[in-house]
Amino acid sequence: MREPSDRDLVRRARRGDRDAAAALFRRYWRDAWRAAFAVTGRRSLADDVAADAFERAFAALGRFDERRPFGPWLHRIVANRALDLLRAERRLSDEELPDMPDPAPVHASGDRGLLTTVAELSLERRVVVVLRYGVGMTPAQIADALDLPVGTVNSRLARSLEQLRESVEVEHVE
Amino acid sequence: MSSELERRLEGLLTEAPDPDPGAGEEALHRALRALQPAAPARRGVRTAVLVFAAVAVLLGIAAGSLAAAGALHVSIGQKAKQPPAGTQLKLPKGAHGIAAIVNGRLSVVIKGGFRLEGQAATAVGLSPHALYVAAGIGSSLVAMAPSGHQAWSHPTGGRVVSIAWRPDGLEIAYIVRRGRRLSLHVIYGNGKRDEMIDRSVRAILPSWRPDSLAVAYVGAGGRAVVYDLSHRSRHVVGGAAPVTHLSFGPSGTLALARAGAGIGWLDGARATARGSEVRLDPSPHLVLLPPLRLGGRIRTFDANGTTFAAAVVRAGIRIVAGAPGHITTVLSLPSSARVDALVVG
Repeated sequence: MREPSDRDLVRRARRGDRDAAAALFRRYWRDAWRAAFAVTGRRSLADDVAADAFERAFAALGRFDERRPFGPWLHRIVANRALDLLRAERRLSDEELPDMPDPAPVHASGDRGLLTTVAELSLERRVVVVLRYGVGMTPAQIADALDLPVGTVNSRLARSLEQLRESVEVEHVE
Repeated sequence: MSSELERRLEGLLTEAPDPDPGAGEEALHRALRALQPAAPARRGVRTAVLVFAAVAVLLGIAAGSLAAAGALHVSIGQKAKQPPAGTQLKLPKGAHGIAAIVNGRLSVVIKGGFRLEGQAATAVGLSPHALYVAAGIGSSLVAMAPSGHQAWSHPTGGRVVSIAWRPDGLEIAYIVRRGRRLSLHVIYGNGKRDEMIDRSVRAILPSWRPDSLAVAYVGAGGRAVVYDLSHRSRHVVGGAAPVTHLSFGPSGTLALARAGAGIGWLDGARATARGSEVRLDPSPHLVLLPPLRLGGRIRTFDANGTTFAAAVVRAGIRIVAGAPGHITTVLSLPSSARVDALVVG
């Protein structure tokens, strides 16, 4: 049987169909959580961010434009929730060191996981990299999601790639 | 190199671990609870709307007749800006958030649209910029993010009756009632390292000095005490008891109110009190206006001392906040309502 499209599920969920909403949730939960993890670096925060994002998305489903794709909209909420939480945490606990990020997997080749290298980027660069490469959003979509000029997104991407390339090269030399 | 790196980055999320199944189930439950189906308009609803409109027209005609007869005062122009009486909190212009406990229920409005209402609570405080809400819920002090998500919960062993967040956000002072005893505690803003400051105090909202290095409270004997955090020392200030409310002004001096003695200002800021009405001083140095008792129903009342002031006025309870020229009625209540706390941040 053909899988219902996102649009079908969204339409039904808007009418209060909990099964459709649950199907939508299951379709996107893992990706949303992984994106949240890639930005926050912590399982506990990723749980919070992804759960908050779905809660907000479902609460706002009535205002969602059905003609637009659901995935980028959800990831936009994930990215902004992650930024909000990390910035709030940074402001509230200046005196304390943040929790250490959870360890990222190490590849069979012995390379550090790319996720670990990305985690060393600043928060502002990290979120742009995750949305561009992890989630597959275009710079214009990222600019829209984060309320930034496209030029800023492109420059953050370029600088992130430069920094990542240097890290990866150093790793190979070592 | 770049294209190879970009190709690897495209598989970035596959390196991330999988979420725990338990987290997914809990998140699904929360998300489904948030689902708000847009119900299509039905004939019954349309009928009700028509009936309501007809009643409104009839009431309008009746009100017009009464106004013409002088039995009802209708104002047009500046006075008409006053919002109608309602029990919903309104965010004052320029504020990041506002929170209140009305009839034992928590109401919070945060800039950006977040609104929380109906949770049974005993006290509430807002962090600077309203990034977090702290509330006394059951026998715990609970901190919530503006999303409503619980950041942490600290068991207090009693009911929290007052909460004051340090101006720099790093600590929270709170008073907890255990049996007949009230004690003052200070806890880190992340819910860790709780410390008892005074084991016997009165249930009056503590006030932090703007530099965050001292907190004032009312001791068990009814006198104002300033606790200096840097020297861990206490100083009784302000003379005679009993002090009913206190607040540090922006200049760091303490304003005290005493039962039966009106409002006493120690830092020279001016305010006038007439019966149950307080007028805001058009001075740029507004300090907290202590609560006026209105039939004994207002017990605790707070507002950020640097930007906002608040007052209770005639005709039920009307609470206003804001800077001079930008006063907003944040809450209008029937006179039977009980306001336990109000904080603007």
